[in-house]
Amino acid sequence: MNSTTETDSVSDPILTLNSIEVLYDSVLLAIKGVSLEVPRGGMVALLGANGAGKSTTLKAISGLLKAERGKVSRGEIKFDGQVIGDSLPQDRVAMGICHVIEGRRVFEHLTPDENLEAAAPISMSRQQIKSEKERMYDYFPRLAERKSAEAGYLSGGEQQMLAIGRALMTQPRLLMLDEPSLGLAPFLVAEIFDIIQKINREQGLSVLLVEQNAVAALKIVSQGYLIENGRVVMHDTAEALKANSDIQEFYLGGGEAKNFHDIKHYRRRKRWLS
Amino acid sequence: MDWIFLAELSVNGALTGLLYSLFAIGLVLVYKSSSVPNLAQGALTMLGAYVVLAFSIQLGVPLWLAIPVAIVIMFFVGLGIEKVALRRLAGRPIVMILMMTLGLDIFIRGSTLAVWGGTSRPMELGVSYDPFFAGPLLLSRINMVGAAVSVALFVAFIFFFRSRLGIRLRAISDDYMASWSVGISVERGVGLSWALASVVAVITGVIWGEIQSVDQSLSLLLLKGLTVAVLGGLDSILGAVLAGILLGIVENVGSAYLDPIVGGGSRDLLVAIVLILTVMVRPHGLFGRHDIERV
Amino acid sequence: MFYRQSGIRHRSYVSDSKLFPIPMDRNLVLFLFLLGLAAPLLIDTLYLNSYVLPWLIWTAAALGLNLVTGWAGQLHLGYAAIMAVGAYSAVHAARFGIPWEFALLIAGLASAAIGSVFAFAAMRVKGLYLALTTLAMQFVMDWVLSHVPAITGGSHASLQSPPFKLLGQPITSDAGLYYVAFGWCVIVTIFVLNMRRTGLGRALVAVREKDYAAAILGVNSLYYKIVAFATSSFIAGITGALLVVTFFFLASPEQFSVTVSVQVLAMVIVGGLASIIGSYLGAALILLMPGFANSLFSATADFLGWQMDPETLAHIPNAAYGALIIIFLMVEPLGLGKIYNNIRDYFLVWPFDQMKK
Repeated sequence: MNSTTETDSVSDPILTLNSIEVLYDSVLLAIKGVSLEVPRGGMVALLGANGAGKSTTLKAISGLLKAERGKVSRGEIKFDGQVIGDSLPQDRVAMGICHVIEGRRVFEHLTPDENLEAAAPISMSRQQIKSEKERMYDYFPRLAERKSAEAGYLSGGEQQMLAIGRALMTQPRLLMLDEPSLGLAPFLVAEIFDIIQKINREQGLSVLLVEQNAVAALKIVSQGYLIENGRVVMHDTAEALKANSDIQEFYLGGGEAKNFHDIKHYRRRKRWLS
Repeated sequence: MDWIFLAELSVNGALTGLLYSLFAIGLVLVYKSSSVPNLAQGALTMLGAYVVLAFSIQLGVPLWLAIPVAIVIMFFVGLGIEKVALRRLAGRPIVMILMMTLGLDIFIRGSTLAVWGGTSRPMELGVSYDPFFAGPLLLSRINMVGAAVSVALFVAFIFFFRSRLGIRLRAISDDYMASWSVGISVERGVGLSWALASVVAVITGVIWGEIQSVDQSLSLLLLKGLTVAVLGGLDSILGAVLAGILLGIVENVGSAYLDPIVGGGSRDLLVAIVLILTVMVRPHGLFGRHDIERV
Repeated sequence: MFYRQSGIRHRSYVSDSKLFPIPMDRNLVLFLFLLGLAAPLLIDTLYLNSYVLPWLIWTAAALGLNLVTGWAGQLHLGYAAIMAVGAYSAVHAARFGIPWEFALLIAGLASAAIGSVFAFAAMRVKGLYLALTTLAMQFVMDWVLSHVPAITGGSHASLQSPPFKLLGQPITSDAGLYYVAFGWCVIVTIFVLNMRRTGLGRALVAVREKDYAAAILGVNSLYYKIVAFATSSFIAGITGALLVVTFFFLASPEQFSVTVSVQVLAMVIVGGLASIIGSYLGAALILLMPGFANSLFSATADFLGWQMDPETLAHIPNAAYGALIIIFLMVEPLGLGKIYNNIRDYFLVWPFDQMKK
């Protein structure tokens, strides 16, 4: 769907991960050499099971690893052609990376209005904040209706919208979403994904999407990476991934039932790849 | 016991109570942002008063200038304490954090007295000691001034927490991780709350220094301030103000009735009992935050 | 080096649960015990009774507090109040004519009874709120001690302790008093050492780590909290009584004020939570530190030819004591016990320390 922009920017991705390793507590190796690219203005999905290392990858990019006593021990992360070494999370937000963390995590005791305001950069003028907030309410009209209730009392879908809106207030060029569909009704997932796609198309915002709900994710992204056990085991366009029988079997829940031999074969191939 | 006397006890108690609120606001500021119970607030109050006196007596600076200078100095002292001592303890068991604030309390008290000595000195704000007559009631002037300052500070903080900076501080107290994720510097925010608490300590120290003169006993306000803060809910400034009034009245009226029976000194006992009862019956205090259940 | 693990193989559960499986540990403890026995012969009586004796008694106190704070994880800021209960009940009982053996037992039981009241607070709340409640209880006790003349003889009064006798033998000599303190400290140490490998010790640790998870596993956390508070208070009571009997010789309220509670907690934290060796080291450091700071400062002042204000000098120990706590929490929050363990671990594998991981 974004094929034109994608081919234009293949040579100049906005985000490049070059075989990074992540170490927790200086002993636990959670990511073992992940490489990936997000094209400028593109949408990329990071798929995989629980504990595969998807969230850790996002935290490595946003710098939130530090809060969990983890660090990138090897490899480099390049954003917009610049290596982001050990910089603090707030500096990365200022560069234009924003991470919508898993589980929504809105500021519960603030109103949606204040949630949005808290995320606005310090340099932003009052006037700008106001117009930016208006823009968010245009994207998410549901939030406008409840803008002065305490955010902790919003429904799950509204909280997710607020979390995304709050992230957009930081004026990101790369938006990273961690499981936005978690615990939401399918129609809400569709609504939220539509909006993300719309922002991507209108503003040229690059998106890195982490999902377990591979069906929904592959509908909107142009390409996807598959992570298992802290390694990238597959990378292809969304169409190819959707068509891949292994992916269908393990992540899309469709496909025909395979016999045991095939599964063993798949597992062996995976081990060899990783 | 006639009604006028009871009313006088209550009103004076409420005024004194607002002065406890002044102290408790400092505790609430730190607790709200970082869930650290700052047991060093008493020592900071004492240090604040001593710094004011150091400028006004030793250097001869007029009091109206000495107070703002002390406020600025203590602002940075608060920032420094957070950065040096508390930041690296984040995530450690609460017993270590408590011990750290107790250690800070002992250290600040000890070094303040080592530098300036323990003899008690007057603050000399120039508030008259003559009682103020409000109808049939006899009120203390300095308590009225202090209560007014306390209420003014309360209003100022209400507005502060609506400002952009204040919203960010409230965001930090809600969720560290989410704050980082949108580029709010949690460290700076927590540091700022310590700095503000230290500024409040200077103001508390000046008012209380005028009431009971400046010496080591200023740090003993901790028990009362702590009781007020817990009764108010530890993270609510409004709670601290109302709980202060409540505790002041209970203490003043209660001790007037109890003192003749037990032979004096029942104030501290009443305060300790209020603290125990609060924790036992309603640990979240009057206005403490109940964590919101997701609906 | 020194600590050799090689050649130690356990073939039965009994040998596996030995107190000191490594010979070096056993020998070291034995050596220290003999040193403690011989101390009156080796150390000048002045030092013995003004340094070693209080150190041993405060170590026993720290071990008692460590039981409830370190092992069971319950914050306690009113430990001195419990010690006061023991001290005053023992002295009153002895003045009433009860033999000291029973007076000490009464002290322990009275403290255990009052200490269990603290445990009821621990049933309702934990963490910070428990700390605040116990702190408030300490203030209540301070108030009682200074306002009830029947107990203390009135405010600022002190209560003379009657002559100390054990088993009909009057104990007045310096060495005798020392051995009483030493014996008590050894008893408490042996109790705590063994507690770690019993069901009680494991239950306490389970309650500390997650009390409701412990409850799911069938550990009655309420029961164990009360047991922890009662046991620790029993130790506190007898320790408080012995402190009066062997060191102060009279009981007065300020010996058991809130600062003393903070001091014992400081010993536990500086020593290390749930560390026995740490309690010894922590008590030593906190007790010796003020005197050391004082002499260091006056020596420096003398050397530089400064005139030190006596008042300044009087407050420096306090500042140094606070600084010590702060620095420890900044540098090694797990305390001296952890530092000792690091050294021991180093020797355990030396010179093959690359094998550690």
